[in-house]
Amino acid sequence: MTAWSTAQLTEYFVAVNAAGSEEAAIALAVERAAEIVEAEIGLVVLGGRPRGAWGFGGAAPERDLLALSSAGGIVDIPGLGDVHAVPSQLGSGLPGALILGRLDEPFTPEERQTLQGMAQMLGAAMRGARALAAEQTLRADRERETRLVETLLAIQRGIVSRRPLQETFDAITGGAAELLGDAYVALILADPAPRVASSAGGVGPGDRPGNAARAAMDTGSLQVDEDEQGHAVIAVPVLVTGEIAGSLVARAGDAAGYHADQLEAFAQQVGLALTDARTVELVHEAHHDHVTGLPSRALFLKAFNGRPRAGVLFIDLDRFKAVNDSLGHDAGDQLLADVAERIRGCVRVGDTVARLGGDEFAVLLGDAHRDTAVATGERIIAAVREPFRVKGRTVYIGASIGAALPGADGNGSPDELLNCADLAMYRAKQDGPGRVVVYEPAMHAAALHYLSLRADLQRALAEGEFGLVYQPLVRLDAGSVVGVEALLRWNSPGRGIVAPGEFLPIAEESGLIADIGQWVLASSARQVAAWRRRRPGLTLNVNISGRELVRPGFVEDVTRTLAAAGLPTNAVTLELTESVLMSDPKPAVLALSRLRARGVQMSIDDFGTGYSSLAYLRDLPVDELKVDRAFIARTQLTGRDMALVSTIMELGHILGLRVVAEGIENQAQLDAVQRLGCSLGQGFHLHRPLDPAAIPPLLESPSLHRAA
Amino acid sequence: MSSTSERWFGAGHSTAADSAKAGGEAAAQAIAGRTPAAVFVFTSGGHDAVAVLAGVRAEAGDAVVVGGVGLGELTGAGATEHGVAVAALGGPGFTVCARAAGIAGLGARAAGAEAAAAMAEIDAPHTALLLVGDGTALGPHEIVRGAYSVVGAAVPLVGGLTHGRAQFLGDRVLAGSVVGVALGSDRPIGIGIAHGWRRVEPPLIVTRSVGERIYELDGEPALDVLLRRAAASGAGAPGTAAELFQDGVNLQPVGLARRSGLDIRSLHAGDDEERSVSGTAEIPQGALVWLMEAERDELVRGAGDAIGAATAALGGAEPLGLLAFDCGGRKLTLGEDGIAAEVAAMRAALGDVPFAGLYTLGEIARVRGASGLHQLTLVALALA
Repeated sequence: MTAWSTAQLTEYFVAVNAAGSEEAAIALAVERAAEIVEAEIGLVVLGGRPRGAWGFGGAAPERDLLALSSAGGIVDIPGLGDVHAVPSQLGSGLPGALILGRLDEPFTPEERQTLQGMAQMLGAAMRGARALAAEQTLRADRERETRLVETLLAIQRGIVSRRPLQETFDAITGGAAELLGDAYVALILADPAPRVASSAGGVGPGDRPGNAARAAMDTGSLQVDEDEQGHAVIAVPVLVTGEIAGSLVARAGDAAGYHADQLEAFAQQVGLALTDARTVELVHEAHHDHVTGLPSRALFLKAFNGRPRAGVLFIDLDRFKAVNDSLGHDAGDQLLADVAERIRGCVRVGDTVARLGGDEFAVLLGDAHRDTAVATGERIIAAVREPFRVKGRTVYIGASIGAALPGADGNGSPDELLNCADLAMYRAKQDGPGRVVVYEPAMHAAALHYLSLRADLQRALAEGEFGLVYQPLVRLDAGSVVGVEALLRWNSPGRGIVAPGEFLPIAEESGLIADIGQWVLASSARQVAAWRRRRPGLTLNVNISGRELVRPGFVEDVTRTLAAAGLPTNAVTLELTESVLMSDPKPAVLALSRLRARGVQMSIDDFGTGYSSLAYLRDLPVDELKVDRAFIARTQLTGRDMALVSTIMELGHILGLRVVAEGIENQAQLDAVQRLGCSLGQGFHLHRPLDPAAIPPLLESPSLHRAA
Repeated sequence: MSSTSERWFGAGHSTAADSAKAGGEAAAQAIAGRTPAAVFVFTSGGHDAVAVLAGVRAEAGDAVVVGGVGLGELTGAGATEHGVAVAALGGPGFTVCARAAGIAGLGARAAGAEAAAAMAEIDAPHTALLLVGDGTALGPHEIVRGAYSVVGAAVPLVGGLTHGRAQFLGDRVLAGSVVGVALGSDRPIGIGIAHGWRRVEPPLIVTRSVGERIYELDGEPALDVLLRRAAASGAGAPGTAAELFQDGVNLQPVGLARRSGLDIRSLHAGDDEERSVSGTAEIPQGALVWLMEAERDELVRGAGDAIGAATAALGGAEPLGLLAFDCGGRKLTLGEDGIAAEVAAMRAALGDVPFAGLYTLGEIARVRGASGLHQLTLVALALA
């Protein structure tokens, strides 16, 4: 990891360039460079003479230093000892080098590159200062040098503030093109395959720049060539920590000079930008999620390297969101950290645990036997199921886990394996949370099925593929129909009849439920309003989802739709499941109260299967309970079933609610619920859901008013 | 005690209320009737420094007297505030030359260079330049650069920063100055530096800073990051900069990535409006930093480590005595019990070897590289 920061380099550039004279520029450059790379001694050797010697305590620098070869070497400095000394050339036109020497440790390739950049910059500043001295004749050069410095500084600032790499590249080619007299300049990067990463200025490329660039990359040195029109083509290598990463190539717009040193200065900037980007990437990748201290997703994927037999567990927490929402993010973070700790406790030493983001974790299993994967997953589920102590409260959460193992068919890349585990996790959630499910290829098909179903669903409403059937609500003592429940059917041209259980969750998830719900209410309200001309008092039950209920404007939409259909609000009962009321009670209760105030009635569907909290029955504006079919589904009701249904009946009566028995499928069940005092019922034994055309004959029997 | 025909080093400490008496008592203990070549005087606020020096001079004869006013002083007898600690050395083989320069007239860098010129008088196999500088002047690191420009890499630099009007040379109390003490010895001189802080992972990138003020870490307001880290480390749940730093009492050390380790900086204030935090030394934009933490025992161990490093650098020679420059920020963090434990650790590391030291506003130690100003560290100078 680099110890210097790019900001220090910028400061160096500014200081050296601002120096009033060549002497001052050299002194500043030597001193700052020594501090940045923690060198003890430094100097510039120009024309064989030492300048700006630093750290020698007044003694003359050693002759060995002045005659150092370009590769550097070890020099004995009296009073100090052996130093590793390395020269960096100042650039063409200046036969000299910036030399730094350090005790104990040789310079790393990265440091040598940094020093090379500093030397180039010092060279530019020195040439600028010389140009200044010979003012009249060298005005153009001086301006160019100044512009070079300014351009380099602007680029440097871009690197410091970590502008996107492409932006920096474009600034470099643009700046170089302008400074080289509107030359064509292209940056070619070698990795992964040679490509032009950025280009600017001048006349188009032809083949020659490519040739020169290739030669520069092959040889690692400056290449000068000539194209068909006789224009000079110069290519310099771009180095990142000593390795050739590409080439900066220029096709001069006029015949004047090569300006190879300037191009080299720009190439140094490319190298620095790439080095810096790599450093930042390393830092961030080396990093670990702040909250849990676990490796990030990127690092996790890297952990697969060299472990072709590795398997993956994809862990998703159940009910984490509720904790996070109710106790706050700090509590959520603490909980995540605790969860991470427990997961770590469940895996073997060679396994890697990572946090993928949100409440998702993953484990890389070193050897991926199905049994080990499942056993590890179950250990994790058991560990996470134990109560957590967060902000002084006891919190219960759970985990669902998908496992993916490398197949014989080599469903291979770490990314794919993670995706498979994700799919398996999704299935685990669907099958009921708190499970480990191992990925099967069929799940992929299921996921595809899901996606195509969703696409079809989006079209269905517009194409008129939805229809409604009506299940009569029967007054049990008289056998008369007092109301109907509208039920949605989807007749898909490609799929045939699709069961609501299959598409409604998708409609909810995708938000399509709002449009579909609106259509159901409007169609059924118009239908029932028409039937009421023959049978006044006929009521309508419509199912609504929790998502609809809390949608802004829902209450107004319902009122407007009913008014447009000519159906009184008190003829309509909206059916909700208990889960709706449990998940997000506040906005739901608010919407219900407003609807109730407008006369719309409320029913709890599938009562008894969910939380069945008495508290909400007391507090909510509820008018009707529908006893879930599960309680009366058996042919012969047991004493226990009877007791439950009886309790619900009583509860309803105490709270002044209508109680409807759902799922009456035979005479015995009918007798039983009647004996228990239930006056309203639904079920196949009474009437199946019917097409609209089949309803009017049922309404011919004498009208009886619904008990309310 | 050795006779004056041998090399010697002594330390003395006084808590007498009268300044002249305190100076005299401490000097008398340290000198013990011998003829000193150099006397080092360390004291903290509350004393009349001129009177302290007069008291010392009465015992010191013609010796070079140097020192300064810091945040406390220490010897093997313990650490005090408003006391006087004195170290003295003498005997064959020691040469000492001191020189002072004013920062106001020359600038920090030139003053450092001027003070370092004292080294010109010394011709000895082993040397070190001890600097006592004004820690409240602008750009204290320039003092070190200036000194380095003169003495170069062959001479180690050591010392500490004091209060503004508080550098001693001879019988004078100087303001805004640098005192350079060139030490020559025919036996090795060892310098050690240690801090005892430990990194808190992960590191942070200083994405925006100006001078000593950090605005953003990892692209997020710096104060927010520190508050969150403080809460995560179990240090309560501070909500404001004042709560976090407890009005400067609670320092946050940060480690700046350097090639050969970490450079410690201290943050001691924040701004709730700007969401920034600040310290007294520059933290460059783009730098990689770690927040640092330490248990009391680790900081105490740091003192032992610094002394161990200094004595180990003597190359096998027996230590004669030791000077310590201990950061006032460490003192603040350690508290009274911690300071007592620290002095005990120093005694344990040194046995019967006498030592004296000053709690400073910044420490100077340059053995490798070309820069050498530190914070929140303990710098030890061991003499054989």
